[in-house]
Amino acid sequence: MKALHVAWREFCSTVLTKGFILGVFLPPLIGVIGLMALPMLMNQKPPKTEGRVGVVDRSGVVMPLLEREFTPERLQERRRRTVEEAKAKAQEAVPTGMGGPSMEGAFRQMETIAGEGPKLSLQRLPADADVEAIKKDIPKATSRAELPKDPLLALAVIPAESVSRADGASYEKFTLFTTPTLDVEVKGDVENAIERAIVDARLVREGLDASKVRALLSTPRSDSITITQGGERKTHVAVQMLLPGAFLFLIWISVFVAGQSLLTTTIEEKSNRVMEVLLSAVSPMQLMLGKIIGQMAVAGVILGVYAGIGVVALVVFALTHLVNPWNIIWIAGYFLIAFFLIACMMAAIGSAVSELREAQALMGPIMVVLIIPMVLWMPILRNPNSLFATVLSFVPPVSPFVMVLRLGGSERVDFWQIPASLAVGVLSVVVACWATAKIFRIGVLMYGKPPNFATLLRWIRMA
Amino acid sequence: MIRPMSDAIVIKGVRKAFGQKVAVDDMDLVVPQGALYGFIGPNGAGKTTTIRIVMSIIFPDRGEVSVLGKRSAVESKDRIGYLPEERGLYRKMRVGPFLAFMARLKGIDGPAATRQVKEWLHRVGLADCFRKRCEELSKGMQQKVQFIAAVLHKPDLLILDEPFSGLDPVNRRLLRELIDEQHRAGRTIIFSTHAMYEAEQLCDHLVMINRGKKVLDIAMRDLWKRFDPRTVIVEPLEHHDGASVAALSGIPGVAGAHETRTGFDLKLADDADPAAVMSSAAARVRARRVELKRVSVEEVFIDLVQQSGGSGEEIAEIRSAIEQARAEAGAGVSSGEAG
Repeated sequence: MKALHVAWREFCSTVLTKGFILGVFLPPLIGVIGLMALPMLMNQKPPKTEGRVGVVDRSGVVMPLLEREFTPERLQERRRRTVEEAKAKAQEAVPTGMGGPSMEGAFRQMETIAGEGPKLSLQRLPADADVEAIKKDIPKATSRAELPKDPLLALAVIPAESVSRADGASYEKFTLFTTPTLDVEVKGDVENAIERAIVDARLVREGLDASKVRALLSTPRSDSITITQGGERKTHVAVQMLLPGAFLFLIWISVFVAGQSLLTTTIEEKSNRVMEVLLSAVSPMQLMLGKIIGQMAVAGVILGVYAGIGVVALVVFALTHLVNPWNIIWIAGYFLIAFFLIACMMAAIGSAVSELREAQALMGPIMVVLIIPMVLWMPILRNPNSLFATVLSFVPPVSPFVMVLRLGGSERVDFWQIPASLAVGVLSVVVACWATAKIFRIGVLMYGKPPNFATLLRWIRMA
Repeated sequence: MIRPMSDAIVIKGVRKAFGQKVAVDDMDLVVPQGALYGFIGPNGAGKTTTIRIVMSIIFPDRGEVSVLGKRSAVESKDRIGYLPEERGLYRKMRVGPFLAFMARLKGIDGPAATRQVKEWLHRVGLADCFRKRCEELSKGMQQKVQFIAAVLHKPDLLILDEPFSGLDPVNRRLLRELIDEQHRAGRTIIFSTHAMYEAEQLCDHLVMINRGKKVLDIAMRDLWKRFDPRTVIVEPLEHHDGASVAALSGIPGVAGAHETRTGFDLKLADDADPAAVMSSAAARVRARRVELKRVSVEEVFIDLVQQSGGSGEEIAEIRSAIEQARAEAGAGVSSGEAG
């Protein structure tokens, strides 16, 4: 009961601080606000583009082809194709939410972003026209509102050598002069259209059927299908790699924030000299247990906030089938093991030193060990059943993190490894609690020179 | 064998060493229930270690301890109030919630804890500090809060380690009154102090500790008898001269008289009646004060250390510590009282 009072104080004193509230709740809040505000911002249609594109065609053969590219139907078709490609890419990255309301919304956003398409007219200029003189007609206004009616938005100069070339020489490039306010999308579209017209002109010149050659060179995007025991499903590489990483990150961050907080509060209690006051009311074991339980609740809050967001995201994108419910149970077990191991280390270090600065020396080696799963994320995911990954699954304190990664990976982990690694984890927690209790009992009343690892081992043996 | 039920604290043959340094050596002690014991000795004597052993915060290398009839203070922590020497507060926590938290740790329910906290804060003049953060309080105020944390749950045994250190004379007096009040309420109290005269003013039993060993364990009334200097102090009302010394030396039963900074010390002969000498002295010299001199605890301590073969260096150190303790307290008045 006393340990629970300590736990409640520990929890409140950590969670009810501005730093914690800002640190934990603000990032997801900003994310949610961003997600809500972004569509509103993106809802704004792109600027209307209306004007002329002057063409000085010195080859004499590109202009007729270019005129075909600039009919209203072709402009509309190109716009439609851009949207379709964006949709296909989105579906590949964030899969099978087909028919999902959010995906439909996203597609609508894409349509809006693409806008109605530019209204451009081509202006054929004489091949020997004075380019410098025409360039002066291109408005230099920095605001679209200042543009005159039917402005000359761009001037393309296509040299004859862009279509024909001497043997062994390379084709010349064309030049496009534009007004400063021309929308980059429109500029890109004009450039692409000119490029296509030039290439078509070259093909015609070589006696080839341009549309036939284009058809021969293009292929629809390939489909990647994963065959599973439950049937076939589309391959979603991004999600397959990110989901286990998300689990790892979630546990790592919650365990470390709470662990760091445990270290800080323990050092504070020592440096504020409140430790002995507490020990007059509770035993060192009750104090340590209370502090660990309190910080476990802190880790639970962090985990709850971020996992909650993750679950909402999975439901919204209809991706819940990617998460195996059994894995959630195992991962919860690994979270507890990871938390207790880290918390014990932090409590032991916090009790042994008098200042945060002194803790750094003892924290260094521990951090190096615990950074391993973050560094080896990719190799473990690519080959979850490698000897290396399997061995690490039984080496605390990295084992819970490695197992979380392996369980989320594409390859199935042999079932026996799960209870076995959990058992090793629980055993290591018991040993860690026992050792920490011994260090804690001596450390909390020790002031002065900070101990090294050898001293901590001596405390474990002597207490 | 230990008598666990009849005494508040029983310590038998306790030894505690930290590395090569022996902090407590072969300590025996019995504190009866309802007593007010003072642990005195210079800094580093072993007082705090003894108290921490009693509190089961550290454990002895050997020996037995019984607290309130239990083998360990852990079993009766809710019946013990403890003000440690190394005391602090949660700096960011508010005073009221901090004390309520401490009360809950001592087994008092939430609403009752808050009510008692408010009552106590009112009693010590900190009624308006309930919502203040601990770090906003002065050192003296913080010590009052720490004292409240120790007594809030009405403990049977109150252990105060250096309760007066860092307090100004006004707050020292207030704390003495509060300790006395707790004693009158029937609680067993032990407190340690390196300012020995504090113990002299407050406790009814003294335990002197030096270098981890108990050098004296005595009731105050027995101390006065055993260390009676058999000297009468005379403080004249007006300016005095050599004639006064001669007049006082002639009193029957006075073995010798000598002048001091404030008056005279009359050494009594072995068979002299102190009351008769005092009355004669008052008749011969117009006096502001005539009283039988009491030995100071500090003098007794130095005497005992000397008898036990303490070196000159050690004695000088103790004297210096005593002077420092008095200076810390700014205890001009107290010094006179201890006189």
